This record gives sequence, C-alpha cells and structure tokens, in this order.
Amino acid sequence: MNERDHVGENAALYALGALDEFTQSAVDAHAAGCAACSRLLGAAEDDVARMAAAEPRHQPPGAMVRRLRPNLPAAHAGLLSWGAFAAALLLAILPSAYFWQENQAMRAAMTARTDAMSRLAGTSVRSATFTAMNGGASARVMYAPDGSWYVVLVRGAEGALDVAWMHDGRRTMLGTVQPYGDVAMLYLPKSHRMDQLALVEGPRVVAEAQLAYESK
Amino acid sequence: MLDPGDDDTLAAAFAARERWAFDEAYRRYAPSLYSAAYNVLGNAEDAADCVQDALTRVWRSPHAYRRERGLVRSFLVVCVRNEAISRRRSQLRRQHLEARLAAEPQEHEVLRAGDPIERDRLRAALAKLPPQQRVPLELAYYEGKTHAEISDELREPLGTVKSRIAAGLRKLAAALDTATP
Ligand SMILES: [Zn+2]
Repeated sequence: MNERDHVGENAALYALGALDEFTQSAVDAHAAGCAACSRLLGAAEDDVARMAAAEPRHQPPGAMVRRLRPNLPAAHAGLLSWGAFAAALLLAILPSAYFWQENQAMRAAMTARTDAMSRLAGTSVRSATFTAMNGGASARVMYAPDGSWYVVLVRGAEGALDVAWMHDGRRTMLGTVQPYGDVAMLYLPKSHRMDQLALVEGPRVVAEAQLAYESK
Repeated sequence: MLDPGDDDTLAAAFAARERWAFDEAYRRYAPSLYSAAYNVLGNAEDAADCVQDALTRVWRSPHAYRRERGLVRSFLVVCVRNEAISRRRSQLRRQHLEARLAAEPQEHEVLRAGDPIERDRLRAALAKLPPQQRVPLELAYYEGKTHAEISDELREPLGTVKSRIAAGLRKLAAALDTATP
C-alpha cells in the first residue's frame, strides 16, 4: 500500500507488528490524516494490547524506571495545545448540561461554553500561568488577544476559588470556578483587556497571573 | 480501574502533545510498556532502551497519535512492541549473517524468551482458535514474522493470510476480554 490507500486489513498486521517497515510507515502517514483509519488502527491496537496484557508481567528494576523516563525535548505550540485541551474539556462537560435544559442559568452557561469552545478552536489564543499555589495546585488563564473572552482553568485545587480582576489597587470579583472532575473552570466573556487576574479563596488572594497583550 | 473520563482527558491532551500528558502516560503505563518490550526481547537492558526509544519517537512525531486512535495505552503498547520487534529482527539478521560467515548451520530462532508456563492465559486463548487462524497469528505475534513471510511459510495467498490474521485477532481479543480476571 502507499500513503493514499486506506488501511483496511493491514490494521491487524500493523498492530501485531507483522508489516514490513515500508508498509508500516505508509500506514502511519495515512492514519495521520484519516480519522476512519485511525479508529480502525485503534481497535486493532486494543486487541493486541489485550494479548500483551495476558502475557507475563516483568517489573523493571527501580533504577531502570528512572532511567527509562524519556528525556523529551521541549514541545512547540504550547498556547495552542492548551486551547485544544480546554476545548476537549468543554466538549466533555457539555452533555451534563443537557440535563438542566429547563434551568435558565444553565442554558446561559451552556451557550457561553459553546461560545468559548468555538473561540478556543481558533488559533489566536494567549495564555498565562498563575503564580505557584499551595498543595501542588496549578492554574492558567487562556484569553483572546483583544480581551473579548477569558477561560480560567485550575487543576488540583481543594477549596472553592473565585476569580478577581485586580486593577488600580481594587479587586473586582468576576465569578467562581466550577469543578468538573479534578479540573475547575470559569469562562468569562468580556469586552476589555484585563492585565492582572487573581484567584481568591475567601478573603485571601492565593495566586496571581499577569496577562500580556501585543500593543496595537 | 481507570475512569473513562480521565482517559479521555489524557487522550485529548496527548493528541495535543501536552507535556504533562506524556509524563502522566509514562507514569501510568511504564510497567505495561516495559513488560511488552521484555516479552519480545527477553532482556532487561534492551527492554528499557526500547521503551525509551519508542516513547521518544512518539514525542517527536507531531501526528503520530490523534484522538480517533482511542486508548493511549493500547497505542503505546503497540508502538513499543513494534519497536521491539524491529530490534529483534535486526538482531536476528545480524546473527544469521554472523552464523553464515562462520559457516555454521543456524537453528531457526523463535522471537521469544521467558517462562512458557507464565504465558498460559494467552496460550490457552490461542489454543481455542481454529488452526487456520491460530497458526498465522502465532507466527506474527510470537515470531515477529511479516505477513509476506507467513504467506511464504504457509503457502497461502497474502490476502488469505491477512483475512485470517484479522479474524483471528478479533476472536482472540473477544475471548480474552470475557476471560479477564
Ligand atoms: Zn483511511
């Protein structure tokens, strides 16, 4: 086969490692651009993973586990990938919102999320990290270059967190991040650029983020 | 057990090449990946190198994994196994070459190491397949043979071998799935 051919029955051979290297590369190249064949390969890979799981387990020695850890070079396009992560998260939480269609507030929230999702699918996303938080929690804000929307994502926080806009020595409360599993999120449609956001727990500021914009 | 929602989040981030997703996948799956490599290579040092090389290669190929591929774990197990098989093939080629140079007839070598008794669960499931499906599947899985080599060895057309392997794999996986303790 070549790169343009669909994978077909080669999926099982690929997953078993029974293709020659040339055909294996052609499958890789084709699957990168074909959703249907990616699904087919995924199913065959699940089957082979089941076979592998039915074989004896071997525990790597502790020192080897540390050495095993791949020393990966830095990835590119960090901003975009955060956008993709948030879009996936939004997709994952959308269905739960359908249970609350009668609820006006939820309907508004759903619309807002759909809006956020379509915005995140675009390419011009900026992002800033909040200063270190206690207990290993981490937080980030993604935002539009024109300040038209903001998404605050918090991972691993314990208590309820509010988001505040810090400006001219004042603090304007914007809302509370909503938990979805171990991630919490707040989407804020806005019409202006905010330079500094804070995460607030009760009366206390627990983390701050500085947002940068290209001057125009 | 893993929460499926959690797997979805990991898969999405993995597809987006989030560094944390690679770290998390490594943390979760390193023992499975190491075992998969060891079961092909039969050697701790080689198995460790193989896992590291396979993961580094995935990280460096921006389009290697996309969301439709499904479970990250299965994807990585196959990446590592394929890397291990390709290493084993070149080891065998080297050994055959050396053997030929030494003018010694070489026994056909099976791609495996480890205690056969421990492999009972997979072996038992394989034994239940009809021979037409079992034999080509075993030649691929245990001996790392390519479909062309299997077709030669069994004197069956390539297309027939492909279909039997595909059908055998589906049936075997379904049997293992229901037999999972
Ligand atoms: Zn295709």
